[in-house]
Amino acid sequence: MCGIIGYVGREDALPILRDGLSNLEYRGYDSAGVALGGGSLDVYKKEGELSALTEILPDSSTATMGIGHTRWSTHGEPTDVNAHPHTNESGDVAVVHNGIIENYDTLREELEARGHEFTSDTDTEVVPHLVEEELDPERDLVDVVSSVVDRLKGNYALGVVVAGRDGIVATRRGNPLVLGFADHGTFLASDVPAFVEHTRRVSYPEEGDVIHITEEGATVYVDGEEVSRAVQEVDWDAEAAEKGGYEHYMLKEIHEQPTALRQAISGRVDEMKGEVDLEIDLPKEYLNSLEEVQFIACGTSYHAGLYAAKLFEEHADVRTSVEVASEYEFDGGRDPWRTLVVAVTQSGETADTLSALKRAKRAGARTLAVTNTLGSTVTRLVDDTVFIRAGPEIGVAATKTFCSQVATLTLVAVHVSRQRGTISTADAQELLSDVRGLPGAVQQVLDNEEQVRLAAEEFADGDAFFFIGRRLGAPVALEGALKLKEISYDHAEGFPAGELKHGPLALVTSETPVLAVLTEGANADETLNNVKEVESRGAPVIGCASDTVEDAEKFADEVFWVPELGELEPLVANVYFQLFSYHVANLKGRAIDKPRNLAKSVTVE
Amino acid sequence: MKAVVLAAGEGTRLRPLTRTRPKPMIPIGNQPLLEHVLEAAREAGIEEFVFVVGYKRERIQSYFGDGDDWDVDIEYAVQKTQLGTGHALLQAESQVEGEFIALNGDRIVEPSAISAVMDERRSTGKSIIAVTRHKHPENYGVVELEGRTVRSIEEKPPAYTVQTDYINAGVYGLDDSIFEDLRSAEAEGELGITTALRERRDGLRAVPFDGLWLDVSHLWDVLSVNGRVLDRLEPSEPSTAAIHERATVVDQTSLGSDVRIRPGATVLPGTSLGDNVVIGSNAVVANAVVLPDARIGDGAVVRDCIVGENASIGPNATVEGGETNVVVDSDVYEQVRLGGVVGDNGSLGGGVTLSPGTVLGNQTTVESGCHVSGRIEHDAVVRRG
Repeated sequence: MCGIIGYVGREDALPILRDGLSNLEYRGYDSAGVALGGGSLDVYKKEGELSALTEILPDSSTATMGIGHTRWSTHGEPTDVNAHPHTNESGDVAVVHNGIIENYDTLREELEARGHEFTSDTDTEVVPHLVEEELDPERDLVDVVSSVVDRLKGNYALGVVVAGRDGIVATRRGNPLVLGFADHGTFLASDVPAFVEHTRRVSYPEEGDVIHITEEGATVYVDGEEVSRAVQEVDWDAEAAEKGGYEHYMLKEIHEQPTALRQAISGRVDEMKGEVDLEIDLPKEYLNSLEEVQFIACGTSYHAGLYAAKLFEEHADVRTSVEVASEYEFDGGRDPWRTLVVAVTQSGETADTLSALKRAKRAGARTLAVTNTLGSTVTRLVDDTVFIRAGPEIGVAATKTFCSQVATLTLVAVHVSRQRGTISTADAQELLSDVRGLPGAVQQVLDNEEQVRLAAEEFADGDAFFFIGRRLGAPVALEGALKLKEISYDHAEGFPAGELKHGPLALVTSETPVLAVLTEGANADETLNNVKEVESRGAPVIGCASDTVEDAEKFADEVFWVPELGELEPLVANVYFQLFSYHVANLKGRAIDKPRNLAKSVTVE
Repeated sequence: MKAVVLAAGEGTRLRPLTRTRPKPMIPIGNQPLLEHVLEAAREAGIEEFVFVVGYKRERIQSYFGDGDDWDVDIEYAVQKTQLGTGHALLQAESQVEGEFIALNGDRIVEPSAISAVMDERRSTGKSIIAVTRHKHPENYGVVELEGRTVRSIEEKPPAYTVQTDYINAGVYGLDDSIFEDLRSAEAEGELGITTALRERRDGLRAVPFDGLWLDVSHLWDVLSVNGRVLDRLEPSEPSTAAIHERATVVDQTSLGSDVRIRPGATVLPGTSLGDNVVIGSNAVVANAVVLPDARIGDGAVVRDCIVGENASIGPNATVEGGETNVVVDSDVYEQVRLGGVVGDNGSLGGGVTLSPGTVLGNQTTVESGCHVSGRIEHDAVVRRG
């Protein structure tokens, strides 16, 4: 997981690359570097956050071309030498790379045998040496890079510059790459926010494309033949990369949830008819023949999948399974023709999810992606895509995208249930009316932020935090714990409430706050028994409760009130957990938007 | 020129609406007051803004972000405690240099007033204040003029002492030397911008204008100002609103995105419906400001009424509307048009009736069939019997 950027144009490359890298920092931030091009190459790289690199960069440079990289370590520790760009001995070839070159061991041995000297522990460093070997004044750089990538195994998005050669040559296989066309020059990057301040006109190269990027634009080659790739407008704006008055992206994104939710449902819901229009092509006969809906996802998206699966089982009357993508196999006697595989991924680039999806496709199952990112790799792999329309999410800890994922998946559930005839119009109307009520209910929670902040102050020093809930409250408990541990580094665990007494209860003491989901859709009355269990061990209890339980105050030290919203109440309760996690982490002064060891979208398996 | 927009205030007289949002976020014609200010300033040629925010600032920040949706740059300065407009302006000190415009974020003003102040500032280099005439100058900063020079500014003086109709319109043309004056100005309690301006040795020039200038002081002003703004708007209907073919929606209304209007419903002049609002079958909504996510039930009649965000009005509930006397903080306001106010997340059961002038706090629940009048605190439950 890393971010790359390149620019060739008429303006000074240095500030453009620096700003671009800061917009990509969510993809990795343990080291960074740039190579400024022209007659010779100047390489600057540094361990640490981008600010460390900025300190060693010159104030200005006349170069109008260059490449940059922000790293999240896979091979080799985060150090100055392991930072990208990597070069050959003479420093006239520089390379930035996102991905993993699997056969780098063999390549490196061969290169060393031929006298090449390596300075880093990275897989990437083989590339500049291979390029050097192929370089020949008679040969075009596109041709050179094409023969080099023929020898690479693994996943990569690469940007290559060579001193004295015009432009940048880039290529991708398995990792994201996007081209941007501005009035003053041309960009390549791992993701649109890197250059969205300069242009919204973009093009997404296909796997195996080799691209020559110059001031005038980009020429794309497949097996040496020139091909054309469509240019499209992205509708993200530069706000993607700015905090708009908030201290952290995470807090900004938590507060954006009512708007994000309105976007997720806008134009998709016909409550009167109890129908949903998602512009997907899943034939009624196919949906009726379904035996199973399988969700594959990682992290927060996995929790959204768990929530959705329960709604599918209940309303669409279909068997479901939810698999952590890295554990996924298509087996167990499933009939691929009667299995719909739903991949849930915010970025659309999550390597584990993509690879699970490929397995499902190989088996012959129909696939559907639920993602936030237009043009992402996942959208090109699947049969159908539903976008969650949450807008860019920069904070590493997913917040608004979880909410929008569940809201969107609920719409998919209603659609499938209606097509299968397993839900009455009246029930569909009610569920859809709850979906429409989400923005207002979430806003109501946000208006209570002060109460949550005070509770965070009171309980922040707990030894550990346990989150419990049943049914739809169980995935929310898991998500609440994930959020807290991600950003506060506290020990936090989520359990289905009934599991508590089968083991975890041994960990509960008077110093371990327990956060419980006590709403509709979460079997609150039964969970109350578990609340009593922990209470009798002296644990402080924070309940997210709605009117469905009476006298929640009796059982909990602190009650966060959840407005009435049927089966979506647990989703609303989750917003309290987001705020709680944020304020606990903020009190402890954590790097909330960039927690240690984590990256936003994980493009390695 | 940059504009510093003062948007940190709470607006206590507009409770319950201002319990969850600052006064600049009160919607008029489905746009916050602050957005009207921003658009007027942008029309006057301003592209860079500093918003001074404080009370409930998340609402402002989440709505405006960095200003990209308006093609302007917005930075934020935070005023932690609300100690007056002068103190608010001081918070922006590090973000402005040289000449700038300062504006109130909660008054609707015409672009021409802003450009007049900018022109006067550029041509004279002096401190400038826009003034306008008002029927009740004693409620504002009363400005005594001598030609174009300001002789005095008195904040809310006793009515019998007032000799002029001119008031401070809340648009200033200044430069960064004001910050030193603000710091040295002695003030008791709140520090207003005008306190520092009075001390300007080189004189303070007034730019009079008589265009649109609208202030929202009281809840009923929300309705009247909304009506005036809707009258001036070009009728337009967002494509995401779904109006049933047997529903009636007249001009002089404003519909947010994804509004749903059911069969037989009637939406009459002076009405703004926020995003995601649902109007039930055969409901009648007239001269009303309905905030986002609110739901009005089948057959309800809602006139001269403000319905809070995510509030729900039950079937056949009646807010009959009309004029009445309203008491606010022991002042009696006679014959104001206010059918009622339902706070955010409030819930009226089926068949509930509100007497004119009723104000329900946020999260208030009124059970079916009740008749309510007067002022009800937030989080209350009103039962029959």
